[in-house]
Amino acid sequence: MNKKDLLLILVILFVCIIMFLLFSNKSSDYAYVYYENKVIKKIDLNIDNEYTVSGYNGDVVIEVLNNKIRVKEEKSNNNICSNMGFVSSSLEPIICLPNKIVIKIVEDYKIDTVIR
Amino acid sequence: MDTRKIVRLSMLLSLSIVLSLIEGMIPIFSNVIPGVKLGLANIVIVFVLYLYSFKEAIYVSIARVLLVGLLRTGLFSIVFFFSLSGALLSIIFMYLFKKMNFSIIGVSVIGSICHSIGQVLMAILFLNNINVIYYLPYLLLLSIPTGIIVGISSKEVLKHYNKVKA
Repeated sequence: MNKKDLLLILVILFVCIIMFLLFSNKSSDYAYVYYENKVIKKIDLNIDNEYTVSGYNGDVVIEVLNNKIRVKEEKSNNNICSNMGFVSSSLEPIICLPNKIVIKIVEDYKIDTVIR
Repeated sequence: MDTRKIVRLSMLLSLSIVLSLIEGMIPIFSNVIPGVKLGLANIVIVFVLYLYSFKEAIYVSIARVLLVGLLRTGLFSIVFFFSLSGALLSIIFMYLFKKMNFSIIGVSVIGSICHSIGQVLMAILFLNNINVIYYLPYLLLLSIPTGIIVGISSKEVLKHYNKVKA
C-alpha cells in the first residue's frame, strides 16, 4: 500500500460523495395525471397545491405537499389510491382503476446524455 | 504454453470457480443491497495477473465467467452478460494500473470498482433504464473495502507461493 493507492481510494471516495450529492437533490419533478391513457394534467411537485380532475366516478382531488403527491378524495368502493398516501418515487405510480386515473411522477435527468 | 503452465492455470481456474460458488452462499450485503459480493474469485485473477501476465489472466477470467455462468445462472442470461462486462473491464483496468506501478492493493481496488461499473453499464444498456445509475455510488462505496480485502489476501497468497517455490 503506497501513496498512489491511498490517493486512488480517496479519489474514488470523492467521486462517490459527488454522486450521492448529485443524485440526492433531484429537482424539477413533474407528475402526469392520465385519464383513460391520455395526459389531462401536468402537476409541478415543487408547488404545494390542490388540484381537482374529473374521473369516471366524479371529481378526484389531488394534493401536493413537500414534493409528494397523493389522492386526497375520490369516489370508489375500496379507496385504494387514497389509502396509498403520499408518493414521491417515479417507480410507484398511483393507480385508481374505478376512476380510470393514473398519476405518474416523471423525473428530469440532467445527466441523461453523458452515458449515451 | 507448456504442460506445467496449463495444469497450473486450470487448477487456479477451478479454484476461482469454487470461490465464486462459495461466496454465492454467503449473503453478506446482498440482503441490504442486492448484487454485492466479496469478490473472492478476484483473488485468483489478481494472483494470475502477478504470477503470469495479462494474457493468462484474461483467459482465466473469461473461462471463469463462462463456467460460473453455466453453473449458477445459466449461460447467456442477463446476469451472465453483467458479470462478463464487469470481468473484462476489471481485468483491463487492473493491467493498466499494474503498469502504472500501483501496489497490489490499488490494483485489486480498481478491479473491484470496475466490476461494479461494468455491471451497471451493462444493466443500463440491457434494461434501457438510466435509473440503474442511482445504484452505482452504493456499489462503489462497498467496492473499496472488498477490494482492499482481496488485495491483502492476494498479497499474502503471493508471498506464501514464492516461499513454497523457493
